[in-house]
Amino acid sequence: MTKVLVPTVCPYCGAGCGFYVAAEREKAIGIEYMLDHPVSQGALCAKGNAALEILYHPDRLTSPLKRRGEGWARISWQEALDLVAKGLGQARKKHGPRSLAFLSSSKCSNEDNYLMQKLARLLGSPHIDNCARLCHAPSVVGLNKTLGAAGMTNPIPDIASSRCIFIIGSNLAENHPVISRWVHRAKDRGAMVIVADPRATPTSWMADVFLQLEPGTDVALLNGMAHVIINEGLINREYIAQKTKGFEALSRAVKDFTPQRTAEITGIAPEDIVRAARAYATSPASAILYSMGITQHSTGTDNVQSISNLALICGQMGRPGTGVMPLRGQNNVQGACDMGALAEFYPGYKKADDPNTIRYFREAWNAPDLPPGPGLTATEMIEAAGAGEIKAMYIMGEDPANSDPCSEHARRSLESLDFLVVQDIFMTATAQLADVVLPGAVWAEKEGSFTNTERRVQWSHKAIEPPGEARSDRGIICDVARSLGLQFDYPDAASVLAEINRTVPQYAGILRERLEGSSLVWPCPTVDHPGTPILHRSGFNLAEGRASLIPVPFSPAAEAASRNHPFILTTGRVAVHHNAGSMTRRSPSLISREPDLFVEMNREDAAALDVEDGDEVRVATARGETAAYARLTDRLKKGVVFMPFHFPGTNILTTDAIDPEARIPEFKVCACNVFRRD
Amino acid sequence: MAVYIDINRCIGCRSCEVACQRVHGGHGHINVHYVREYAAVPVLCHHCQEAGCTMVCFTGALHKEGECTAFDVEKCTGCGLCALACPFGVVWTDKIAHKCDLCQGREEGPACIATCPANALSDDFDLATRRARERAVRAAAVGGKR
Ligand code: SF4
Ligand code: SF4
Repeated sequence: MTKVLVPTVCPYCGAGCGFYVAAEREKAIGIEYMLDHPVSQGALCAKGNAALEILYHPDRLTSPLKRRGEGWARISWQEALDLVAKGLGQARKKHGPRSLAFLSSSKCSNEDNYLMQKLARLLGSPHIDNCARLCHAPSVVGLNKTLGAAGMTNPIPDIASSRCIFIIGSNLAENHPVISRWVHRAKDRGAMVIVADPRATPTSWMADVFLQLEPGTDVALLNGMAHVIINEGLINREYIAQKTKGFEALSRAVKDFTPQRTAEITGIAPEDIVRAARAYATSPASAILYSMGITQHSTGTDNVQSISNLALICGQMGRPGTGVMPLRGQNNVQGACDMGALAEFYPGYKKADDPNTIRYFREAWNAPDLPPGPGLTATEMIEAAGAGEIKAMYIMGEDPANSDPCSEHARRSLESLDFLVVQDIFMTATAQLADVVLPGAVWAEKEGSFTNTERRVQWSHKAIEPPGEARSDRGIICDVARSLGLQFDYPDAASVLAEINRTVPQYAGILRERLEGSSLVWPCPTVDHPGTPILHRSGFNLAEGRASLIPVPFSPAAEAASRNHPFILTTGRVAVHHNAGSMTRRSPSLISREPDLFVEMNREDAAALDVEDGDEVRVATARGETAAYARLTDRLKKGVVFMPFHFPGTNILTTDAIDPEARIPEFKVCACNVFRRD
Repeated sequence: MAVYIDINRCIGCRSCEVACQRVHGGHGHINVHYVREYAAVPVLCHHCQEAGCTMVCFTGALHKEGECTAFDVEKCTGCGLCALACPFGVVWTDKIAHKCDLCQGREEGPACIATCPANALSDDFDLATRRARERAVRAAAVGGKR
C-alpha cells in the first residue's frame, strides 16, 4: 500500500491551520505541512505538530460503557443506545421535555453540532448550548448588538495590511501562534503594535506600546482611549454621521475618563494611554484583536461593546487592515454557534424567542412542535441540574466537571442527574460521572466542515477509522435520535451539510463540492458567491444600516482583593496546552514540556511570603484550594498571580460570578491567597 | 546552509522543538531557551565552517559536507567528545551522537523552518538583517513611530 496524504484541519485552536495526515495501511504515520494554506502557510504550533499523539493513546475509549457499581462495564452499541433512549425518554415522559439538556461541542464539526441542536429541539428541549459560553458568549451578544454580526470582521491574513494592531486581552503568541506571523508581517511593513494585558507575555514581546493594566479594568482603558480620541478631535466624523448612531450618549459617557482618572483605575501611565489612543485613531488602518482576556469577565459584554465603540468612532471598520477580531479558542467555536448550538439562537443566529424562527424551522424540519427559547445556557444547565430541574443530560465532547468555574460545584450538580450520557474520546472528569459513556471519533477519524475564527469554512477529510468500536459523532447522534423514534437519515456528513445549505442562509452557498481543496468565508448566500472575507464594507445588518454605539459605564470586577484574599488571580493558557487539557495532557511531547500546575507570582510578593522559585504552594479562594508550583517572575505586577487552566486544580478556585447578559463566568479575576506548603 | 534565527520574531512557542522531535523519531536537535521573561532563543547546530565537533571526532562520523556539518551514524562510537567540543552545546550523545542534520531526506527542507508559526527561522542568512533594515527605512520615512 502506498502512503496517502489526507487534508485535515487542526483539532486544537480556532486559527484553523490545515495539515495533511499521512496514512498508510489504515494507520496515521505522520504529518505533512500544507504550504498553500491561506492562514498557516504550512506552519503549525507545538500542539498541531503533536496532534497525532492522541490518535493511538491507550486511554482512548473504544467501546460503549455503562456504570456498574464503582466501575465500568463494556456493553454493545445496541445496549448502550437502548439505555440512552430509556434514560432520556423516561425523563422526558415523567418530567417533560424541558427536563432534558444538551451540551454540544465546539470541537466537533458543523454537521455534528447541527444534528445535536436539532435532536435537542425535536425532542422539545430548548436547553442546548456549547462551551462558547465559557469563551465568547459576550462577543456573540455584544457584537450582534453593536455591529449586527458576531464573527471576526476581517480575515487573519488581512492583519498583515494593518498599520496599527491593538491586541487586548489576548496572548495570541501562545494561544494562536500562527497569527503572530501576520502581526510580524505588518510590523515589517511599519505597523505599530499595542498590547494591553495584565501580564507580560510573548505577545507583549511584539509590542511597541505595552499597557500593563490591572485585571478587570478594560472598560476603563477603552473609555479612556475614546476620551482622548474625542477630546483631541481624532474621531472620524463622516463615518460616525453616516454609519453609526448613539455618538452623543457615548461621548457624554466617556467624558469623565480623562487620562489621569483612567490611569488611576488601570494602573497604566497616562502618557501611554494617550500614545495608544492617538496611534490607533490616526493610523490609516487599525485593527483590534481580542480574546478571553476581554470576554471572561462579569463585564464581558461591556468590554466587547467598548471595543466596538472604539473601532466605530475612528471608522476603523470595513476596510482591509481594520476591524474587530475576536480570536476563538476552539477549532469550531464559530461553527458551533453558527449551527445554533446556543441557548438563544436557532441555526444561522435566528433568535429563539422569535415566533418567525419557530415557524421557519417547523416547516424546514417538518416538525409540528418546536420549543421557543432562550433555553438554559451551559452554566445554567449545570445549576438547574443541581436544583433538580434538569433530570437528564447528553454531553458531547465537553468537560464541564473540569472546565467550569468552581468545578467542585459543577461535579456535584452533574451527580444529582437521573441520567447522564457523555460522548467523548477519553474518560474525562465529566464522563466519570456518567451512566453511559459513548466512544466518539477524533478529527482524523471522521469528516466534516469546520469554521475557524475568521469564519472560514474548511472541509476536514477522514484519514483513518476510529479505534475499536468508537464511531463518528454524527453516526452516534443519528443512532441516538433513531432509538428515540426520530427520523434522522444522514448517511454522511455531506448530507447534513446539504441541509445546512438550505436552512442557514450564511452557509447557503457553501456546498460540499466547493470545499474540495478550497475554503469559503461566510456569509456566502449563493452557490456562485465568492464568500465575504471583510464584513461591514457598506454598512451594518441593523436598523438603518447603522452600527450602535453603546455607552458603557465602568464597573469593577465582582471580586476585589481583601484581607483574607490579598491577591488577584487571573487565568490563561500556555503554548503547549489546550483548554481543559484532556488531549494535550495526554500528548507526551506536550505534557513533558509543561507537566505541572504552576502559579506565577511577582518576585517581591514571593519574597514577602518566603516562597522561592519551584516551591510547592497552596492557592486558596473562597471556593477551595489547590496545590501548585510557584514560578517567580517579573511578568506580573505586585498583587496579581497567574495560573494556567489546563489542569484540574485551577477551576476549583475561580468564581462563578457571571456576566448578566452573556452569562459567561468571570474566569479572569478572583481574589485568592497564596501560602507556603509548610 | 544552516538554519538562521530572527530573534525579533521568536515567540518561544517550542513548535520547532516538537516538530524536530517528530521527524527525528523522538530525538530533537533544537532547544528553545528563555532569557527570563523577555525573549526566547532557539539554539541549534550552527554548521560551523571550522567545526569543533568534526575536529575531535576520530572516526570521522562527524564531518563537513560542503557547508553542512554532517553525521554518519555507522561510524559513531558514542564516545561523547563532540558534545564536549561543541561551543554551543548543541550536540549530545546517548548511545550515539545527536545533532541537527538539516532534515536530510526531507525534500521540503528543515521541518523547524516550515513549522515556525512566527517565521522566525529561515535558511536565508541575511533575512533577519534585511527585515530590520526595511523596518528602519520605513520608520524613518514616516518620521519614526509615534
Ligand atoms: S495555531 Fe491553532 S490551529 Fe494552528 S497548529 Fe496551533 S493549535 Fe492548531
Ligand atoms: S517555532 Fe519559531 S517562534 Fe516557536 S520557539 Fe521555535 S523559533 Fe521560536
